[in-house]
Amino acid sequence: MSPPQGEINQCVILREKNDIVLENRPIPQLDNGDVLINIKATGICGSDIHYWLHGGIGDFQLKAPMVLGHESAGIVAKVGPGVKNLKVGDRVALEPGVCCRMCEQCKKGRYNLCPEMAFAATPPIDGTLCNYYKHAADFCFKLPDHVSLEEATLIEPLSVGIHSARRANIKSGDHVFVFGAGPVGLLCAAAAKAAGAGHVTIADLVPSRLEFAKNYYTDAQVLLQRPQPGEPNMEYSRRMAKEILKTESLADAVIDCTGAETCVQMSVLLSKSGGSVVLVGMGGSVQALPISEISAREVDIKGIFRYCNTYSTGVEMLASGAIDVKPLITHTYQLHDAVEAFKHVKENRDGAIKVQIIG
Amino acid sequence: MTIDNKNLSTVLVGAEKIDMRDMPIPEVGPYDVLVNVKVTGICGSDVHFFKHGRMMDFEVTEPIVLGHESAGVVVATGSQVTRVKTGDRVAIEPGVTCRTCEMCKSGQYNLCPHCKFAATPPTHGTLSNYYSHPEDFCFKLPDNISLEEGALIEPLSVGMYAIERANVKPADVVLVLGAGPVGLLTCAAAKAAGAGQVIVADLIPSRLEFAKTYNSDTQLLLERPQQGEPNIEYARRISAQILKTLGRRADTVLDCTGAETCVQMTVLLTKNGGSAVLVGLGASTQTLPVAEITGRQVDVKGVFRYCNTYPRAISMLQKKHINVKPLITHTYPIESSQEAFLHATNGRDGAIKIQILNTQ
Repeated sequence: MSPPQGEINQCVILREKNDIVLENRPIPQLDNGDVLINIKATGICGSDIHYWLHGGIGDFQLKAPMVLGHESAGIVAKVGPGVKNLKVGDRVALEPGVCCRMCEQCKKGRYNLCPEMAFAATPPIDGTLCNYYKHAADFCFKLPDHVSLEEATLIEPLSVGIHSARRANIKSGDHVFVFGAGPVGLLCAAAAKAAGAGHVTIADLVPSRLEFAKNYYTDAQVLLQRPQPGEPNMEYSRRMAKEILKTESLADAVIDCTGAETCVQMSVLLSKSGGSVVLVGMGGSVQALPISEISAREVDIKGIFRYCNTYSTGVEMLASGAIDVKPLITHTYQLHDAVEAFKHVKENRDGAIKVQIIG
Repeated sequence: MTIDNKNLSTVLVGAEKIDMRDMPIPEVGPYDVLVNVKVTGICGSDVHFFKHGRMMDFEVTEPIVLGHESAGVVVATGSQVTRVKTGDRVAIEPGVTCRTCEMCKSGQYNLCPHCKFAATPPTHGTLSNYYSHPEDFCFKLPDNISLEEGALIEPLSVGMYAIERANVKPADVVLVLGAGPVGLLTCAAAKAAGAGQVIVADLIPSRLEFAKTYNSDTQLLLERPQQGEPNIEYARRISAQILKTLGRRADTVLDCTGAETCVQMTVLLTKNGGSAVLVGLGASTQTLPVAEITGRQVDVKGVFRYCNTYPRAISMLQKKHINVKPLITHTYPIESSQEAFLHATNGRDGAIKIQILNTQ
């Protein structure tokens, strides 16, 4: 299992905007507490595509070539000094963000908010789309034999769902509304169900997405219409929310997985008084919100940034069958066809949900 | 700042036997700092180790440096240190956790199973001239907080964390059982959290005399159980009396004694739906009035040390929202550690917090 001398380490590298290449790099040396993972499977995320096409997201801008990928699973190839929880041969899911462990946020258990977070494939930290990746052992989670490495890569986006369901405070029997039926929305629906939600409604503009969602942890699907030409967002949102409420009741929690201003507005309008709106989708950085509803009906708005303390839960959910992520894996590519895989995700063709790269 | 090669330390070598020894100067790793410890308070747990050579599961099998309530001056820093610098005056949070386990990652690092806590065997304590400690467990003191106050942040943290566990809200009625240093600091933390009324109870009149001047609105003198009176009967009897005096149950009751009778009263005197918080460490198995816990939904919560308290403690001390100075009643130079510990053991002359000062 240990990499032989001179073993190559093929990496998928974003050199600059629109420029992905395959390059051989040295196998990393291990420090105290590290393991070397032979990466076997990696899912592609919308953020990977965004970095490819735009060279950055918000404050995170590409300044030097960077390995892509952060939704990975693999096999432990080597164990560094001080590692007790893993051994060579263990199959693991990787939680891609390693926090500093020393700051106030880390100590308070919200390490996703650590200012020194080193997150795979967020510049300048190299990602996991390679053969051999060095990672802190306590951020690698051992998988039971019956959970495949392909499924395990989905623990990363599933974690977004788990964290969102926690932030939304979903309790058994709750009514939950999800905007957006892409992979993130679907996994938020799944996490809501796993948290005991009694009824989950999902909404999207695209009928084929809702067709899929019909068989994936949702009880009702709502087809959103596009705004009329020149219709101001707030007017559209009020009109559409009123329409939706003809067949839907107000929700205990609304999770927006689109980032679209209209959906964020509708999220507030569709929430029960005292409910929570969780903003998962990342859209315009400044958006107009119906403040009067937020105040007068005490509808709380909560953002999420990645996740924390979700991987053990994710492994448990896959192991017990509480959530089945296999249906989301629609297309698979070999590592050397990585650019094709990225193009496929960008073009969003053939009913692609989660496209994976196998190493 | 020069580091001399003497590291005078207060070493416990047997029950009630302290040896002043020159221990090796500790290693300073890349993320550690070397602190010239200046002030160390003595805690009940130190006294317990001193008297018995053991506490709960922790036993003294080899000579161990005592002390864990300390503050001092940073004299050297490891190569990767960014949070403090040489010359900084710091309060030391004595428990160093593993940072990688589930407890650490979820923000409850006081429950880390791999915690190395100063003066809990086998980890040496802070009663040394020089003590090495990770930078993120050393907290810089602003100029208007003395090192003596800095050393009190440790027991203050116990009070603060207990009050957090108790869910004290503004205007709450809080009852504290036990007016020793922990009980008093719990009263102070309750007030700082906005408690409307703080009541403190104790067996000893002189303790209540002091408590009258320190963060409590009402003081209750408890009588001892009658000859042969079963604990639960005593607890019910006294609780009924207290209920009559106060006119109502408390929003929360915190036990800072560990005595079974007080633990029982903690439940009996907490209002429906409130939290009964156990801070004191007493017998490991105790009888509780379960019918009250279920029938009135009184949650019983333990407290193990504290977490995430030091920055807030410093903020409160700096703004003078809490005054810990009155608790410092006696000081000894480090060379007189044996006497200091004996004093802490017998508690004479109204001792509340005894501190050991390092003059080196």
